[in-house]
Amino acid sequence: MKKALFLVCVVVLTLGFWMELAQAQKPIVLGCPLPTAFLYGWTAEKGIKLAVEEINAKGGVKIGNETRPFSVEVIDTRDLEPGVPVSEALMAVEKLILEKKADFILGGPVRSEAALAAMPLVSKYKKVSIVSSGCLSPKYHETVAQEYDKYKYCFRIHGEAKQLVKEILMGFQELKDKYGLDKVFVLVQDVAHARASGEIISKLAKEKGFDVKGMEVFPTGTADFSMGLMAVKKSGAQIMNIWMDMPESAILLRQWYDLKIKALPFGSTLAAAEQPGFWKATEGKGEFTLCNVVNAGNAPSEATPWTMQFYNAYTKKYGIEPEGLGASSSYMAVYVLKDAIERAGTLDPDKVVEALEKVDMEGVYGRLRFDPKSHQVIPAFDPKEGAVGSILQWQAGKRVVVFPKSIAKGEFLIPQWMKEK
Amino acid sequence: MDVVIYGVINSISLALVALGFALVYGISRLPNFAHGALYVTTGFVTWSFLKTLGLNYVVSAIAALIITGIIGAAIYRAVLIRIRGMSISEIVASYAIGLAILEGFRYWGFKGMTYTLPTFTKRTFIILDVPVDGHRLLVVVLGVVVMLLLWAFTHYTRIGLALRGMAQDERAAMMLGIDSDLMALLAMGLGSALAGIAALFLLPLGNIVVEKGYDVLIQALAVCIVGGLGSWAGAIMAAFLIGFAQILSTVYLGAKFQMVVSLIAILAVLILKPSGLFGRQKELEERV
Repeated sequence: MKKALFLVCVVVLTLGFWMELAQAQKPIVLGCPLPTAFLYGWTAEKGIKLAVEEINAKGGVKIGNETRPFSVEVIDTRDLEPGVPVSEALMAVEKLILEKKADFILGGPVRSEAALAAMPLVSKYKKVSIVSSGCLSPKYHETVAQEYDKYKYCFRIHGEAKQLVKEILMGFQELKDKYGLDKVFVLVQDVAHARASGEIISKLAKEKGFDVKGMEVFPTGTADFSMGLMAVKKSGAQIMNIWMDMPESAILLRQWYDLKIKALPFGSTLAAAEQPGFWKATEGKGEFTLCNVVNAGNAPSEATPWTMQFYNAYTKKYGIEPEGLGASSSYMAVYVLKDAIERAGTLDPDKVVEALEKVDMEGVYGRLRFDPKSHQVIPAFDPKEGAVGSILQWQAGKRVVVFPKSIAKGEFLIPQWMKEK
Repeated sequence: MDVVIYGVINSISLALVALGFALVYGISRLPNFAHGALYVTTGFVTWSFLKTLGLNYVVSAIAALIITGIIGAAIYRAVLIRIRGMSISEIVASYAIGLAILEGFRYWGFKGMTYTLPTFTKRTFIILDVPVDGHRLLVVVLGVVVMLLLWAFTHYTRIGLALRGMAQDERAAMMLGIDSDLMALLAMGLGSALAGIAALFLLPLGNIVVEKGYDVLIQALAVCIVGGLGSWAGAIMAAFLIGFAQILSTVYLGAKFQMVVSLIAILAVLILKPSGLFGRQKELEERV
């Protein structure tokens, strides 16, 4: 009898201890609505998972006296696929909140239209959301600034279209100063951020003294750009500014080479050229293509001590270099959130929002701070001052960062055949 | 001149994409909604043989074509034969199979923009002051050759004549001893291989992505509906009509209208001539 009583006591105590331990280690769930079959989705997923693995290996997140690990729940939103309605992404966000019990939303949605549509949803559930990939529309942070009380839970940790436009214009200026290229043609994909950015860059380039020869909008899925390229050729343009995240942009770059169009491809977003496999995929035809990978760390540079540390860790874990927009920013989103939670000492969304507004830390792409009114990461051209961008150029099979100068590893080049008359 | 040259290239490309779909429907009245998936399958299989197994390009391409043809025939033998004659069921079943194939590729990791096939030639030609890359010119030449071979096959071989017999009147063909199921099986195999041929010609121009399967299905449907379901000549005519309309709309209206043209063409034909330009579904026209 005594033995039985003793055994029951041991079992009860063990169970109680185990339950207490389980409660103490209950993970903080990061819900990630991402288009996992697309570059900007899977880079974000990889970046988030890498950061979570590193943080958990060091013990997790300190909240008051307890330490809790992060866990990641990913739902495929398919929001970058043509024809998939925005409602799919919204369903994914809601499922993450209601079924997966996500404490925070990280990463996406990635398509601007979907990210904008998700803002009221995350706000309704008071879930702090840090967008870290894809969504470039200025409307995102402008909406937060306009209706702060309603949308204060929404943050964006990567660069946005207006900053990209500034960087691109500075790139144009370098090409003008160095090679005399001053005629621009804008080619954009028929999606919100690209159309808006194309209009903005056309207007600003004109103001800066560039001769803007035209703008062509291509529907998502276009498989033949010959007529658009012929228009570029006839216009006498010397720079092709491209805003496309569709896979078919690789066709555009191949055709540019095949048709020997004397206008340098300069992608603002150009998903096909961001990936390390681009060189092989185009059989080297994409050489000299420029593209903006939005933040440092998505291509090799030494912006901060974190940059190559992240770059090497990503390469070691996944067997491939960080592939483009979304990798470094999603990685940093987890670290920034950890910092905010630890300073807030709670998961209470309003307190975490306050803490995020006060974030000031060095990261993969420079000093990371959010604008307290719009919740947009503060950009800069020097990593000591803010989040820096990265424009790379394909040179001899490698992705060489050529802008901004503070982190550049090479100079802007143009092909020899473009110099010939 | 560039409109004419690129109009012809675009039209032949569309005709190639639609030919397999038109053939299967023309012979067996089966709307093969897995057509786009079979197109992409050829691309990924060729890529796998070429890059993973290190086989020669030609060997990889031929092997991929055979595999695609077998898959097409297997789809008929395993699934479509059981629901033949029930058009809605045929559409749903073949679309579901296509969806499973395409999403299967995605699930198996075939995602991203780095799956490509080498072009047949790297040369660029100047034709009447218009630069055209050699591969596109070869697409035109090889496309015409494929169409001529298909014409010769259906006019001068026993199997080809049997297939045509089926296309003209299935019951009469059966009375003459032609095995309807065997011919439908052959048509599915041949139609799938034609989708594969289109893939081998067109995929080297860009990259192999799952989404291409959905685009190809829409293009094939547009061409076949405009040309008249079941009519091979109609499909070729419609390919030229849509092909040139796309190029002209790009030049005069803007590239963003390029895709809309196919869909407008479908709507216009369904409203004005539901049986299509060369369609044989007169009874449908009469009903409307």
